[in-house]
Amino acid sequence: MSAGAPPLSGPPKPQAKALNCPKCGAAIVLRSFGQAETVVCGSCHSILDAKDPSLAILQQFEIKTSDIRPLIPLGTRGKLRGTDYEVIGFQRRSTKVDGITYCWHEYVLFNPYKGVRYLSEYNGHWNDISICKTLPSVDSAFLNSPGASADYLGESYKHFQTSDANTDFVLGEFPWQVRVGEHAAVTDFVHPPRVLSSEKLDKEVTWSIGEYMYGQEIWDAFKLPGTPPEPMGVYENQPSPVTTSVTRIWVAFAAFAVFLLGLMAGFNMRAKKEPVFHETYHYNRAESKGEASFVTDVFELTGHPSTVEVKTHAPVDNHWIYVNYALINQDTEQAWDFGREVSYYHGYDSDGSWSEGQQNDAVVIASVPPGHYYLRIEPEADASLPGIPYTVDVTHDVPVFGIYGIAFLALLMPVVIISFRAYTFERSRWSESDHPPMQLSSMSGGSEDDE
Amino acid sequence: MFRKFYLLYGLLTLSTAAFGQYRGWSLDTINQLKNVPKSVRDNPGSYRSVYGGYHHYTGGK
Repeated sequence: MSAGAPPLSGPPKPQAKALNCPKCGAAIVLRSFGQAETVVCGSCHSILDAKDPSLAILQQFEIKTSDIRPLIPLGTRGKLRGTDYEVIGFQRRSTKVDGITYCWHEYVLFNPYKGVRYLSEYNGHWNDISICKTLPSVDSAFLNSPGASADYLGESYKHFQTSDANTDFVLGEFPWQVRVGEHAAVTDFVHPPRVLSSEKLDKEVTWSIGEYMYGQEIWDAFKLPGTPPEPMGVYENQPSPVTTSVTRIWVAFAAFAVFLLGLMAGFNMRAKKEPVFHETYHYNRAESKGEASFVTDVFELTGHPSTVEVKTHAPVDNHWIYVNYALINQDTEQAWDFGREVSYYHGYDSDGSWSEGQQNDAVVIASVPPGHYYLRIEPEADASLPGIPYTVDVTHDVPVFGIYGIAFLALLMPVVIISFRAYTFERSRWSESDHPPMQLSSMSGGSEDDE
Repeated sequence: MFRKFYLLYGLLTLSTAAFGQYRGWSLDTINQLKNVPKSVRDNPGSYRSVYGGYHHYTGGK
């Protein structure tokens, strides 16, 4: 080493090998250091044998459209999940289902130490794909049935779709003998956020495992300009926005409902339901032409602030009676003012018999403090009613079951919302599969564990 | 995350229901008044209900 030369720091940077296309003479860059089987000339679209020093032409294809452009340009380097990769290949593939052609893109990534992995993109949905290290087990007898599944590394994957994938366009380097126009039978099994795929080409079957990625993760990894395309629809292995197990939430709801029932029973037993006043009066129209109002005897409410129920009963028959009440605290001059109607109507018409209202009415006054109380009562009645008896009952500390009803609905509402969200998401997911929701026996959404 | 939220939410709902029941909450809306004159006891006509004097039900279907 000469004294003037600075020492090299770190390992030497990998250099791409430059060659020329034997067809058009355009520069060909080999980035994968001999790992590529084929390389595609971006200028004349010749597929060349990368293992051949003279780059023998294997196939030449014509591109049908000019709008096929990789979202991640070849040669772009980035750090994907902690490992540096360079994009060395790109292909567009398509499948035809029910007369509709669906296209997606695949990128070949290369790291000299880690080898090759892939990214796929379909309508803004991305997957990080690598070749399976062990062979998944699958029951091929039931492959296309709704319950078909595959097991890989202890996880069960549900059959999603089997289709023919066609290679439409290729660019860059590929670690296999790629050809435009070749067909492969692709079978996908899903366990969101993962997808297990088998690709059968002739007699060779390749299994790969993919994990869903968001576009922004790709953009961040490769430091791409702009923003990634917005995902459209729900993808086969897209994680559900409902990350919680719906079953567990229903179990929690059931536990809360039981507890609420216990609470209701407990408070019902504990409630005093103490009758503090009972009196029957007679409304007389002739007498009420003077001052109709009167006050009752004083009754005492004891204990903590609690409910007071005022019940009115009147044997009305196609009439009404209306009673103005004021529950007045004799000591504090505090009052609760309310009016209650008791009406009962019935009859017959062309629809048959009908009835409305009832002969009883009850109202519950909230949080009445202990003390001495009396009622001011002022009755009114139907003009055609000369007189009628009515009974007033006052009960202290009665349970209000409506509170439990509201609590029950409050507990139920989030569970219903989350279940509906999970259901609609899974429905969208499986509507694209070979087993659309009509055939779906169980909802697989929400099977994901919390966090 | 939602499960934790729901557990907290459920406990809060049950606590509110229990507290409401203990404090004597009601679903009926009753007009509360202060400083009702003491003379009402001796002269009920000296007080008029805010609900009095207007009608009500006139009859059936």
